[in-house]
Amino acid sequence: MADYYTAYLPLLAILALGVGLVVAMFTSNRLLRPTHRTAEKMLTYECGVDPVGEGWAQSHVRYYVYAYLYVIFAVDAVFLFPWATVFGGLGWISVGEMGVFIGFIAVGLVYAWRKGVLTWT
Amino acid sequence: MVDLGGGVQAIDWLAVAPVLVVACAAVVVLLADAFAGPPRSRRQALVPAALTLAGVAAAAVPAVRLWGERRSTFCVGGVLEGPAACSFVVDPVTLVFWGVVLFGTAVVALLGTAAVAEGRTPQGEWNFLLLCSATGAMAIAASRDLVTLVVALEVVSLPAFAMVGLRRDDPRAAEASMKFFLVSVVSTAVMLMGVSLVYGATGSMFLTQVDQALVTGAGPREVAVAGALLTVVGLAFKVAAVPFHMWVPDTYVGAPVAVAAYLSVVSKAAGFVGLMLVLGLGLRDLAPVWAPLVAVLAALTMTVGNVLALGQQHAVRLLAWSSVAQAGYMLVPFAAVGAAGAAGSAGAAGSGAGGLEPLGASVGYLAIYAFVNLGAFAVAAVVGTRHPRQRLTDYRGLVREEPLAGWALVFALVALAGLPPGVVGLLAKVVVFSSVSSAVTWLAVVMAVNVAIGLVYYARWLVELFRPAEVPGRSTYDVPNGVGVAVGMTFAAGVVLSVFPGLLLDPVLAIF
Repeated sequence: MADYYTAYLPLLAILALGVGLVVAMFTSNRLLRPTHRTAEKMLTYECGVDPVGEGWAQSHVRYYVYAYLYVIFAVDAVFLFPWATVFGGLGWISVGEMGVFIGFIAVGLVYAWRKGVLTWT
Repeated sequence: MVDLGGGVQAIDWLAVAPVLVVACAAVVVLLADAFAGPPRSRRQALVPAALTLAGVAAAAVPAVRLWGERRSTFCVGGVLEGPAACSFVVDPVTLVFWGVVLFGTAVVALLGTAAVAEGRTPQGEWNFLLLCSATGAMAIAASRDLVTLVVALEVVSLPAFAMVGLRRDDPRAAEASMKFFLVSVVSTAVMLMGVSLVYGATGSMFLTQVDQALVTGAGPREVAVAGALLTVVGLAFKVAAVPFHMWVPDTYVGAPVAVAAYLSVVSKAAGFVGLMLVLGLGLRDLAPVWAPLVAVLAALTMTVGNVLALGQQHAVRLLAWSSVAQAGYMLVPFAAVGAAGAAGSAGAAGSGAGGLEPLGASVGYLAIYAFVNLGAFAVAAVVGTRHPRQRLTDYRGLVREEPLAGWALVFALVALAGLPPGVVGLLAKVVVFSSVSSAVTWLAVVMAVNVAIGLVYYARWLVELFRPAEVPGRSTYDVPNGVGVAVGMTFAAGVVLSVFPGLLLDPVLAIF
């Protein structure tokens, strides 16, 4: 058990070293640099353009449905790719099983279509 | 298990049929609703609930055929790889839980029809989610490996979040849903951490192999203990054991009554069966570690639940705290597993049961609680159609003006309290009590005190039922047909089981 934990000691050392390095760099920077605050410098940097409006902006909500629909297909891809690599050894029964799986997933798409989600509003 | 050449597992279709039927019914409900479009009449709005009931009835057919059998499927291993381990096992425990889940789902679907008149809950989606969640609850009872178990538990929870918040323009429901969601996700994370530690320490996901690894002492035991404790904590959130109960009152009150009934019975049953499988089958060898922890949890849960129920004026909130307290009673037999196990292995080693006998009491209590608690919620749904604020004073005059609902609630409350006319409730308490009284005496004393505290608030509510209504006619209801049937079903089940308690308790207590 003790050996098990000692194996992680280098990891801990690297972690401490990394955090220490960043902290040291930022602190020394702060201590050494000259600071002259002007209104111009305190502006939020936005690609060289003066920032417009509030920070609390709204983006259009209609995209979220497409994000959901994307998830449906992202999920089946997660299963399809590993299956494709071993398909040769599994035979045609597995095609049927995959068809059942895709069929269940497709129900989500059919539902979205019937509820009018696919038409751009 | 013979390997069929291509690595494709043979599947025992009859064993998985009940789960499969419920899952397919969910898809049917969703598609039927999607193609039918928005309901044009009250009658059409009831179609999803009718389909749900048909699905539940269809799932009950193979479940009844399986009664008394033991079947396992989705197995790995075999002649060359050593003893087979199965992911999906149908045994008496599974079947009892399937019965509870199917009955509970049917009652909840009927209670859900109360929301039709209001038109703020999309019925198709609601029933779809109900069936999805029920699928998970059925799968968990049959799961015998940790991955299937965790996935099934999530299948129970995920649709339930949406069911809680599905009512349109109801900020309280949304808040309830959010709380439930956050707590449940955290508990899943904790539980997954525990499961991964158990897997790391034992090298297997199958509960039987986890048990073997622990008995033979392969792998670091400290890691397994840490995993076991985290898993208990994760499942304690699901069954709402104190101190992981904070979400319960707000979620139950914010959710529609039907969903609160679902959470308090089916969802809680799923958590308990998960706890029972993980602790009883997988981590049995660690009982000396987790049994005292569960004993403390049980004592805290019933005490906090009962004491906080004392001051409630809101009927559903009172039922919420009461269900917390009831979960405490259900946890009590777990505390006796270690003690009984020690005695069992000293006396009759290799008897097979291995000291799990007390868990039979837990199963029995859970089943009886399910019937009577659904009854109480069913009547609360009736009252809620006219008095959505659900104050206890709104129940005045119920017995006189609406006798069926009134007496059904009287019976349910008496049974929950464990008083004689509700023989089922009394027997459930006796069974739990006897399982623990010789093994963990202090817990039996705590339980006895708690049963006495429970009497106070149940009696307070009972008194309101028999008082005359402030304004005559204030307790008359235009009971929706579905809700009426639900009240009748639960009442009838309670009465039948009170007259013939052996119907349920004999097979359940003989399981372990």
